[in-house]
Amino acid sequence: MQYRWDFPAVWNHLDMLIVGLIGTVELALVSIVLGVIVGFVVALMRLSHRRALRTPATAFVEFYRNTPPIVHFFWFFYALPIVIGLSFEPFTAAVLALSTQSGAFYAEVFRGGIVSIERGQWEGAKALGMNYRAVLRRVILPQALRRMVAPFVDRSFELTKTTALASSLAYAELLYQAMQVNSITYRPMEVYTTIAIMYFIVLFAASNLMRLVEYRLSRVG
Amino acid sequence: MEYTWDFKVILDSFPLLLRGLVVTIELWILAFAIGLSLGFAVSLARVSSRGWLNGPAIGYVELFRNTPVLVQLIWFYYAFPIVLGAQLSPFTAAALSLTLNTSAYCAEIFRGGIVSIARGQWEGAKAIGMTRAMTMRRVILPQVLKRMLPAFTNRGIELAKVTSLASLLAVNELMYQGRLLSSTYYRPLEILTVVALVYFVLIYPGSYLSARIERRLAARD
Repeated sequence: MQYRWDFPAVWNHLDMLIVGLIGTVELALVSIVLGVIVGFVVALMRLSHRRALRTPATAFVEFYRNTPPIVHFFWFFYALPIVIGLSFEPFTAAVLALSTQSGAFYAEVFRGGIVSIERGQWEGAKALGMNYRAVLRRVILPQALRRMVAPFVDRSFELTKTTALASSLAYAELLYQAMQVNSITYRPMEVYTTIAIMYFIVLFAASNLMRLVEYRLSRVG
Repeated sequence: MEYTWDFKVILDSFPLLLRGLVVTIELWILAFAIGLSLGFAVSLARVSSRGWLNGPAIGYVELFRNTPVLVQLIWFYYAFPIVLGAQLSPFTAAALSLTLNTSAYCAEIFRGGIVSIARGQWEGAKAIGMTRAMTMRRVILPQVLKRMLPAFTNRGIELAKVTSLASLLAVNELMYQGRLLSSTYYRPLEILTVVALVYFVLIYPGSYLSARIERRLAARD
């Protein structure tokens, strides 16, 4: 069991891994932004009095929370194009899968934050003559947003880890690039250990940074 | 945008999908059962005051939580055998990485529960002559197990979803069968949709149960 480590063989292809890392970050950021928009709309639908809005929103959330992400990736890449008659780039399919899936989770974050504000405040603001949008924007969201920071960060962290699944659609993110480097160098041990460390550094740094932001925000309140 | 659904394909492929479902459930039960017990052991090391136990346990937990689970699967299948000097079957590699991943998350749940009990109870139990193991079993765990239940069910749900990644190592579980069948019949829309629904039926009861337990515990407090 004498194994000769050869990390330099991998480091010679570090540029490929950096390209992958950028691909990962791009995919994560685009999906977070779109996911938040989807989540906000779905949350408002779920809180609506109209059943026609509430039921589909609930079904959307439950469907995404109870099915594996990899199924969504393949579905958007291989199945949806058949229905709509045009095919997607791997990046587009991955963004669709990630932003709808995280949208379902963000919707729960928004909903949880909004319902955590007592009903009396809605009624009070309404009594002052504010309409639905004004109450939401001026009264409810400013308070609720602070409570949403921690679960929002958790969700975005999970989403960033899930971007690795895009490798199965041949999108050039970190894991996919590692597979390419592996096929050049035949050094799986070094390649996969290197990217595990890269993921770890990025995610660990991001989560600690966010925890600091969370802490600051919680002290303001 | 005229698409004729072919339902016969679904009937034809159902037996194979069910066979995949059995493998999914096997993988799930195996990883959850061992992951829970291993997680408990790691949490004991994690709360230990001895640095040589505590340090590695922190490293273990953080490593598994801050890297994508797909990277862990790939690492255990392609890289680990090199250190081990023996090839692992896809199922073994998947079971191993999912177990270790689950154990890291479960360790944090156990730790959260254990440290939530006031230190005074440890001292009190010691004062009446109980050993540490006895205190854990008779005093600490009975109080926290119920409170940890929603966290563990959530973990179980996550794990059920994550088993689908084993398909990327060619473990013949549900998602793998789905991909294979959809390329055989050239009917990804029907088959991948059915795969998603089968996962939903498998996972939804768990999350329904978890939400109920959570609500009940919240009502009691």
